[in-house]
Amino acid sequence: MNCREFQEILPEAFGGGRTAEQEEHLKSCPMCSGLLADLDLVAREARQLRELAEPSPRVWNSIEIELRREGVIHEPLRGPTLVPPISRPWNLGTWLAPVAALALVAFGIGVYQRGSSAPQSPPQLTATAPAPVSSLQAGKNPPNTDDQQLLAAVASRSPAMRAQYASNLQSVNAYIRDAEESAQADPNDEEAQQIVMDAYEQRAAVYEMALDRSLP
Amino acid sequence: MAIARRAQLVSVVFLATAICASAEVRKEFRFTVGPRSVISVTNQYGPISVKPGAGNQVIVIAVFHSDQVEIDHTQSGSRVDILTHLLSETDADAGRVDYEVSVPADASVTLRSSTGLLRAEGLHGDVTLEGSQANVEVRDISNAHVHVRTLNGSVALNNIRNGHVEVTSVGGDVVLNSVNGPLVQVNSTSGKIQYEGEFGSSGEYMLTSHSGDIEACAPTDASFDVTARSVRGKVENDFLLEPKHTPFVVKAGSAFAGTMNKAASSVRLFSFSGKIHLKKR
Repeated sequence: MNCREFQEILPEAFGGGRTAEQEEHLKSCPMCSGLLADLDLVAREARQLRELAEPSPRVWNSIEIELRREGVIHEPLRGPTLVPPISRPWNLGTWLAPVAALALVAFGIGVYQRGSSAPQSPPQLTATAPAPVSSLQAGKNPPNTDDQQLLAAVASRSPAMRAQYASNLQSVNAYIRDAEESAQADPNDEEAQQIVMDAYEQRAAVYEMALDRSLP
Repeated sequence: MAIARRAQLVSVVFLATAICASAEVRKEFRFTVGPRSVISVTNQYGPISVKPGAGNQVIVIAVFHSDQVEIDHTQSGSRVDILTHLLSETDADAGRVDYEVSVPADASVTLRSSTGLLRAEGLHGDVTLEGSQANVEVRDISNAHVHVRTLNGSVALNNIRNGHVEVTSVGGDVVLNSVNGPLVQVNSTSGKIQYEGEFGSSGEYMLTSHSGDIEACAPTDASFDVTARSVRGKVENDFLLEPKHTPFVVKAGSAFAGTMNKAASSVRLFSFSGKIHLKKR
């Protein structure tokens, strides 16, 4: 099996139940195994966000009003479209995004269904699993893309608040990093697992308040 | 001469207009509700204060500081929603509305504002308060959920009896005074957490911070089972605790665990770099 063949069946392979041939290819191909690990990371991020409550319709309404005001969204126009033609040849870059989005949605639904039928267990972070915070590089590097987008949104509405939100994000990212390191150091420590959830809750609070127009 | 008089007249008219425009305007709204009503007040800027009132009336007094805002209010049965609505892009001064609300004591109340003081007292319905920079004060609440969330605003809870209390503040200090109930949980990133009380008779008390200090003060006859850990900070304990087993290695100076009296309540204090101090009252 080569990379192209593997990537064609990636969505199925990601869901589990891989054949021996696919497993063998994964072992021998760092690119495909890396790709799978990235998807796994995305799914884990989605799982970490399961505590986020659905924002109120007012939040979405405010975002829509703001985006329309800034001309980011508008009524459909005739002419060139941003959607690529279906006949366009697919490459890694074009299909990775929808696959990742589908994976997020699938995991979100899965997590929601599990959450409504059985008690949730804290995320099991092991030394071998890529921790979400490792992608955030919280507190050490410049803010990640999500944080930058959030700060840009805050700055467009209330420039004076940007520095405060940046500082808060840096603090909560440092919290998440410490919490995850602590949980990884002792995966059997239930309190450490709970602290990871607490740290993510802080981050969620910053995001929700930044996106809620009534709390600039 | 005529020109000077005309200029004076224009100045007077201009001044009068400015004074009228900046004058405070007071409006009052009244709603009749049933038992266990649900009241929500969302403000853009400015304080909101809620107290128990007489009968089944919700009375909202709103003070406007400019004509750049209006209030949307809706009622569906026993649910009342009040929302400050900015008419244009405006600053915190012009967009400010001060609310004083009285509700039936059994009402569930949700208050939200980005600035000002959010205050609720004397209720026995659930209370939810959220604000980014707003300071929060809650007092004299019993048999109810108290949920508070702030970004940098401080939080002060006083005399909360049999409450289900959850406080999340990223950078604001949190002070709990005589707060007890089946669950008392405070989670902060950099704010300081202070608890003063007897830890109730059978509850879970979880105070967690990343870099903020945690200070808990209880009387010697308090009955609790405590675990305290600071990863990089110091811990101090003034009580003579009965030792107990912990799932982690207790390092002197950075953790302690034990029970006091009959260990009725569970107390967990955790910080990464903040100092933890369990004090005797």
